[in-house]
Amino acid sequence: MLFEQQSEYFFVCILNKGNYFNHLLNLFLNSTQLQSSRAPSGGWRSPRNKQQCQNQSKTQKNEVEAEDQEKEIKEMAPRASCQTMCPAQELWNRESQNRLHCFEVVPGTESFRKPKGDPLRAVKEYSRPAAGKDVTKPSYLRPPDVLLKTVCYLIDEIAGSTSLHPWTEVYSFVFDRLRSVKQDMIIQRLSGKDCVAILELTVRFHIYASYRLCGEPLRIFDPRINDTHLQEYLNWLFDCYKTGTGPYPNQEEFQTLGLLYNLGSSPATQDVLELPERLRQTPSLKLALAINQAFLEGNHVHLLRLVQKLDFLQTCALHRHLVTCRRHLLLIYSHGYHSRNCRFPLDRLAQLLSLEPSLTAELCQVYGIEVNQHNQVLFSKSAFTEPEQGELDCKLYHSIVSEKQRGLTVKSIIHGCT
Amino acid sequence: MAHITINQYLQQINQAIENHEGSFCAELLSFKHPHVANPRLQLASPEEKCQQILEPPYDEMVAAHLCTYAVANHDFVEAYKFQTLVVSFLRAFQSHKEENALPVMSAVTLDLRIFANNAEQQLQKKGKGQPGEMLEKAAEQLMSCFRVCASDRAGIDDSKKWGMMFLSNQLFKIYFKQINKLHLCKPLIRAIDSSNLKNEYSPAQKVTYKYYVGRKAMFDSDFKTEELLSFAFDRCHRSSQKNKRMILIYLLPVKMLLFQGHMPTHQLLRKYDLIQFADVTKAVEGNLLLLNEALSKHETFFIRCGIFLILEKLKIITYRNLFKKYLLLKTHQLPLDAFLVALRMMQVEDVDIDEVQCLLANLIYMGHIKGYISHQHQKLVVSKQNPFPPLSSVS
Repeated sequence: MLFEQQSEYFFVCILNKGNYFNHLLNLFLNSTQLQSSRAPSGGWRSPRNKQQCQNQSKTQKNEVEAEDQEKEIKEMAPRASCQTMCPAQELWNRESQNRLHCFEVVPGTESFRKPKGDPLRAVKEYSRPAAGKDVTKPSYLRPPDVLLKTVCYLIDEIAGSTSLHPWTEVYSFVFDRLRSVKQDMIIQRLSGKDCVAILELTVRFHIYASYRLCGEPLRIFDPRINDTHLQEYLNWLFDCYKTGTGPYPNQEEFQTLGLLYNLGSSPATQDVLELPERLRQTPSLKLALAINQAFLEGNHVHLLRLVQKLDFLQTCALHRHLVTCRRHLLLIYSHGYHSRNCRFPLDRLAQLLSLEPSLTAELCQVYGIEVNQHNQVLFSKSAFTEPEQGELDCKLYHSIVSEKQRGLTVKSIIHGCT
Repeated sequence: MAHITINQYLQQINQAIENHEGSFCAELLSFKHPHVANPRLQLASPEEKCQQILEPPYDEMVAAHLCTYAVANHDFVEAYKFQTLVVSFLRAFQSHKEENALPVMSAVTLDLRIFANNAEQQLQKKGKGQPGEMLEKAAEQLMSCFRVCASDRAGIDDSKKWGMMFLSNQLFKIYFKQINKLHLCKPLIRAIDSSNLKNEYSPAQKVTYKYYVGRKAMFDSDFKTEELLSFAFDRCHRSSQKNKRMILIYLLPVKMLLFQGHMPTHQLLRKYDLIQFADVTKAVEGNLLLLNEALSKHETFFIRCGIFLILEKLKIITYRNLFKKYLLLKTHQLPLDAFLVALRMMQVEDVDIDEVQCLLANLIYMGHIKGYISHQHQKLVVSKQNPFPPLSSVS
């Protein structure tokens, strides 16, 4: 057979020629399509009925190829057989090394010298990939249905718990365990609907966290780290939407959240603009695009008005841009109203900024803008100054987000019921 | 060429190699050359023949090339795989001191990119494989060739550095297919900018290079974009209508934004089949309604080209022109209501006095209007001299 000749030939070459033929052999052997397609193709073997064989074998070839490819993918991806949230081996290890998290121990044993691990509460932790570590052992990998159950547990019983405190600790735990779920997904090369369900929950969690933990000290919560991971999850999710067969009923919700979170970003805007018409015309995406456009035009009065129409989680997504919006508004007003006799009513400004008047006065102070005792703002372009590092506490000005939370529980928010 | 035997073909390649005829050798390995139509060169296993006549590593390289076009008719995915082998051999002997390897490299890498493109399309149609996967692999191959060229230490006449711009252009063509790959252009641009051959490349290569770098600058909101795209447009050969049109698509919005006095003539737009810009051009003079209509009418085209966002930036300019045109009154104190009326006439929905103030404040902040707003009197008070500075003077 042709292929056997070929591989023999290359094998001989390796013995004779050394390094770059190794590279070549790898290329050759890894392109398994080459293997499967050379064999049946009529044109190679019988030059006489070349055309006939080619036509016939072309369809055969395509079928064989398709089967081969599917087999390849299933064979290449490691199998997962762990049916618990935490592999038994890991639970045993961490228990004996006293490395269990307090959320993972049998209640009542926390103060023991070696707390007992609760198999119903222990969750596989994230571990850095390292040389020599075999991450593909089936008993260590959780299949998609177990992964989904794990994520739901993390959301319902940990993130959504009303008794576990402080929430920074809850966040750290859930963040880490979700990362491990992501690892399992990557190793198994999950795609499509399996991935989407898990990613959607994860994205909602990170978006909510970006608002909830705003203002916490850096050593406890770093918004940049949360952001890095959130962007990765978003990109992966959008990839799944693009390449999968669907349908994805939540796509509208998540494209909206993605755009609001990345407000003003050209790549994010371009991505949304390139979505199919029927998605772009949905109410939430239209609203998000309008908000995005207002942001790009610098029309923050219009923007803050539109924000009132967003739901709680959407406002969480947008929340980190509020500082920029309000600052810009104060800046352009400092220029636009700059005159000796400027007397701009504080109440009016408060309305425009979607803030209480007292908070508006505080915000003006932070930016060096004078407010007189008659509650009038004296805008002046020379007065406007950037606040000192740490002087502006975003949390103080959160009412626009917090007032939308009303009776919503964390659990329902992350499950998408806003 | 279409009738020579395999032996004759191989002899020709051998001669070309021995006589250092880089360009001829390149032709014999390129898919644009008539030899690809020759059925006598489509052998089942060309390796033996090649080994008989050619020295390594040319024997495997030519063998891989012959395999490529034997399957090219059926399957670009296959063709791509074989072409990859050709390129990897090429890289191997690039590290030797081989002059005239550059024309071969150019021909072979061009074919690689084209096959990768076609293979992508074929896979997409069948619904297989990850989008962008083939192009990503091709880009990796090209990038390693680029590195070999960039690090070449030979003297300027023999230097492989002459291949850098060609390879960059090939890589740009791949990267520009996906927005999130654009940052990969940076190291290429840096390498070429710091090389002393920067201005010595052929005009054709320079035009392509400046076109892509100009587009990247546009994406980064870098004002250099006008200079780069203008260069590309001016130097682009008169007969390359299609290329000139492509450059214009990006040059026009940039010029409209930066030099609003220089609107394209209707003649120019017709000549290059860019009538989509006609309404936009007219609208920017102050007709907000027309602008919104024009942007929405040709939305698909503008989005596909990636210029929709930059055209939306023209809105601010349009507001400014609208206000200036509409309010050429003798007084320098203009009631805010008048602006509101102007906007309502342009069918701008649900805009109120607060938003008018915000718009005006923005225009003042950006330097398009000299004056201030008086909230107490609900008026815009403009400077007696030059209330609307010429747009080109405002950054």
